[in-house]
Amino acid sequence: MEFIHHPFIQPMLLPLAGGLLCFLIPRAWSRVCGWLAVLISAATCYLVWPLFLAAPQILDLAPAISLKIDKLSGFILLLTAIFAFLISLYSVGYIRQPEQQKPYFTYFLWTLAAAVGVLLANELILLLCFWGFLGLTLYLLIALNGPQASSAAKKTFIIIGASDSIFILGIAFFGLLTGSTRMDGPAVPLNHPHTYIALAAFIVAAFAKAGVMPFHSWVPDCGEKALLPVSAFLPASLDKFLGIYLLLRTAKDLFVLTTAVNLVLLLAGASTVLLAVMLALVQHDLKRLLSYHAVSQVGYMVLGIGTGLPIGMAGSLFHMLNNAVYKSALFLCAGAVESQTQTADMDKLGGLAKAMPLTFITCLVASLSIAGIPPLNGFVSKWMVYQGLIESGSTFYGSWIIWLAVAILGSALTLASFVKVLHAVFLTKAADTVRSKTIREVGWRQTLPMLVLSLACLLFGMFAYRLPLAGFIYPALRQEVVYPGIWWAGPAAFLMGLGIMMGFIFSLLAGKGKTRIAPTYIGGETLAGEVQVTGVDFYHTYQSLSLLKRFYRLAESKWFDVYDAASKIIFYFVELLRSLHTGRLPLYLIWVLCGLVLLLFLLLH
Amino acid sequence: MAIWIPYFIAIPIGAAFFIPLVSRHLRWAPDVLGNLVMLVLAGLSLLTFGQNAVYHMGAWQTPIGIDLRLDGLASLLLISINLIGLTSSFYSVAYMRQYTSKLRYYSLFLLMVAGMNGVVLAADLFNLYIFVELASIASYALVAFGCEHEELEAAFKYLILGSLATLFALIGISLIYGLTGSLNMAQVAGRLASTPSSTALLFALALLCTGFALKSALVPFHAWLPYAHPSAPAPISAMLSGVLIKAIGIYVLARLLFNVFGLTPLLQTVLQTLGVLSMVVGVLLAIGQWDMKRLFAYHSISQIGYVVLGLSLATPLGLIGALYHLFNHSIFKSLLFLNAGAVEYATGTRELRKLGGLRRLLPVTATTSLVGSLSIAGIPPFNGFWSKLIIIIACVQAEHYWLAGAAVFVSFMTLASFLKVQKYAFLETAKEKLQLLSKVPFSMGAAMVFLALMCLLTSLLVLTGLTHPFLITPAAEALQKGILVM
Repeated sequence: MEFIHHPFIQPMLLPLAGGLLCFLIPRAWSRVCGWLAVLISAATCYLVWPLFLAAPQILDLAPAISLKIDKLSGFILLLTAIFAFLISLYSVGYIRQPEQQKPYFTYFLWTLAAAVGVLLANELILLLCFWGFLGLTLYLLIALNGPQASSAAKKTFIIIGASDSIFILGIAFFGLLTGSTRMDGPAVPLNHPHTYIALAAFIVAAFAKAGVMPFHSWVPDCGEKALLPVSAFLPASLDKFLGIYLLLRTAKDLFVLTTAVNLVLLLAGASTVLLAVMLALVQHDLKRLLSYHAVSQVGYMVLGIGTGLPIGMAGSLFHMLNNAVYKSALFLCAGAVESQTQTADMDKLGGLAKAMPLTFITCLVASLSIAGIPPLNGFVSKWMVYQGLIESGSTFYGSWIIWLAVAILGSALTLASFVKVLHAVFLTKAADTVRSKTIREVGWRQTLPMLVLSLACLLFGMFAYRLPLAGFIYPALRQEVVYPGIWWAGPAAFLMGLGIMMGFIFSLLAGKGKTRIAPTYIGGETLAGEVQVTGVDFYHTYQSLSLLKRFYRLAESKWFDVYDAASKIIFYFVELLRSLHTGRLPLYLIWVLCGLVLLLFLLLH
Repeated sequence: MAIWIPYFIAIPIGAAFFIPLVSRHLRWAPDVLGNLVMLVLAGLSLLTFGQNAVYHMGAWQTPIGIDLRLDGLASLLLISINLIGLTSSFYSVAYMRQYTSKLRYYSLFLLMVAGMNGVVLAADLFNLYIFVELASIASYALVAFGCEHEELEAAFKYLILGSLATLFALIGISLIYGLTGSLNMAQVAGRLASTPSSTALLFALALLCTGFALKSALVPFHAWLPYAHPSAPAPISAMLSGVLIKAIGIYVLARLLFNVFGLTPLLQTVLQTLGVLSMVVGVLLAIGQWDMKRLFAYHSISQIGYVVLGLSLATPLGLIGALYHLFNHSIFKSLLFLNAGAVEYATGTRELRKLGGLRRLLPVTATTSLVGSLSIAGIPPFNGFWSKLIIIIACVQAEHYWLAGAAVFVSFMTLASFLKVQKYAFLETAKEKLQLLSKVPFSMGAAMVFLALMCLLTSLLVLTGLTHPFLITPAAEALQKGILVM
């Protein structure tokens, strides 16, 4: 049993045991679970730190149990542990109902253990076990939110479960090709139809986990219906880490990709960026809107990997980190807003900037960051992805200009979408139901993770090259990254800050005494006091443009949802088969005789 | 060990007739005696693990006397029959109170168990036939046990199709006897290997295949199962779906095709076709059902398809996958039927659209049914995941890619239909008319918890299988090596 003390095993075993402890704790003590989870995720951070620093190494425990750490998995491992710590801290404040606490923290810790397992596995079948188990904990976590979440939980698990089944097929083919399912063998060149099946299966699994179109449709449902920390932890950060991790492993270590495959990745990435952000623009529910952005952002990561260039991959990895930072921050803000106002419907919200200043600042920083405004972190990673796209110019038959245009357009639409969010939630007047309540800022257990995350947005943007890139990203890729374009984050941030300061000073000096407060007006007409200008309808006109109208109609009838399309086809066959089973005995006897005759024919032929 | 072999048949048959004698005066006798017998049998079955033996009844030598034979495959089946039997009979203590006559119930139950044990141990074809009939007739009566309209109709359909199956089997066996002059399986196998195949022999083979495919409910011979299995009392449904279709269906089919006739590529194709048809048709029919037990029953067809698919590959990995899945299926499918029984016991209905909110109302049933659903859907770390994984990998290794694709598709559809059960019965808000009639009694809860733990524990068999031979390996070897003449 000495393997228990091994540094590879401990970070897996600790959350697993912690989860078991939470599972077994008497119900009366369920309040303890939260702090236990915080403690254990902190300890996990401590345990994975040496793994992050360690040199790449392999540990073979048994014939089919092999673990490995390298810089890529070490980096994502550390991220996972840190995010688990932040979210668990937030959850202690958020999950208050005793009957939810026990199962929530149990599944939370098991999720963490399984994620560590996925990242450390050096054997595809071992990885698959943890991968499948993650689907299960996700289902359980979503289902925790009571009957309203039951459909979302079912849909999520069906999509994830289907992709896991396909993953099994991929692993079987991979094993057939290479004779083993170890992940540290030489990369497989794509020279046989089987390699394409295996590769496609791996990509499907990664896409479904990360929420890339067309396997994205569980993300918005989950974001809207699940408990908030669940959406902040799983679809917004952890599932992205793991999906992108698998995609990077597939693209870099397991297979040698061809141009055609890269083009498919680029296409998937670009369509995800654009379609998801267009769907995000018209949402009314804050959490659903954020989830669509979670889908859209993962498109950039796939674009980066699709370029096949070091800078693109570095950009993709950096974007993954950034996305987790600002997207969790945004989800946590949404949670703070929801817990204080009891609604996430943007038609009803408004004017919270004064009541919840810390939440507003976090949300502002994170929104600007996701929209790619310099000098925040979202800008740097997007800029790296763009450079990758431009650099790849010659290899993809000149198609780079399309991908670049789509990526930039997506970024602009993201900004538009967050202007709407900031306006609707924090600035405009609230609906009467919300206005009548006294709203206060949330407690420190919730604001602390939010502030840490928004600070990270700023730091990772301003010191991008020194802090995250040099520290994590370059070692993780083991490749030299060459920058065709130049971006001096520090000086640019300094200059921008200076500009804002100067504008502020000018307005103070020049505008003194000349400002006046005007009543709210639209189109030159002053509005009556009770009319509320929500940001929700900002893009209403745009939705009714003829070409886009069609797109939205298709989206409404769930055309982009594989889940719905597949279930329609399947139920056609189900009804067909059911109509054959009439319940009449003679018919069944005829089947038996037909079967016998067929068998006789086959055998005697 | 050899000396203990006949007790697997003698004890339950004896008890089946002893229980009615004493329980006129002792009301507790059926429950206590029935469970005691099953406990003894389950304990004995665990001892058979890894044993090979032949028992000559009355010390009469092979062609004349009756032989019982124990090998790896028989041992695997014995363990699952008697363990599931023990769980079901313990569950029955509380569950069968709703029905009138416990004494008849336990008698029939033990006769069925005796029949199954006999089938698994029989070394000659005629005794095999006798025991198949014994188990079948007991099961017809048990399906009709409720004596309501639905049960009687189901039992009638089951009876007609089941008798057709045994009729075919009997004709097949007599043809074999005529052709080879022996009924002992080892001798028949030896003589068949030396005689060229004739039309009569192939005719016999077709009849036997049809007969036992009917018993194992492979599509298109499946029509009786969705009536018979839901109509029986829950512990009997668990026995029927969990072990009966395997012991008197799949087991016999595998024995005959692998050990007696020898598997030809043509027979492999036949098995593959039957397996894939059952898997796909079964799961498609299952997902459209709203009656909980009926949905589970269709899944039995589909899961048996997996087993047949694995067998049809005839590779070591395929056989291991198939037999492991057979063992696992007996555990999780019985668990699911016991869950359905608990739901029906507590709420009076098993119609999914009328249920809801049971996660809160029946926590033990909800948790164990989640475990059962995840096992059958093949989600790690539960046992169904491993056997399904092995079967899919075996399909790919044997270069049957379409079969692997079908297995993947069915696995995903299985997940979808069990999530439907979870959603409608357990997660959603309870319907207004739904009333909790009673709590789930201890014996039912304990049986379900035991099986749920087994779902988790049997998946550890894989871990031990990495370094040591495990439960499944001797069984798979028994199929590969054929019958040893002892």
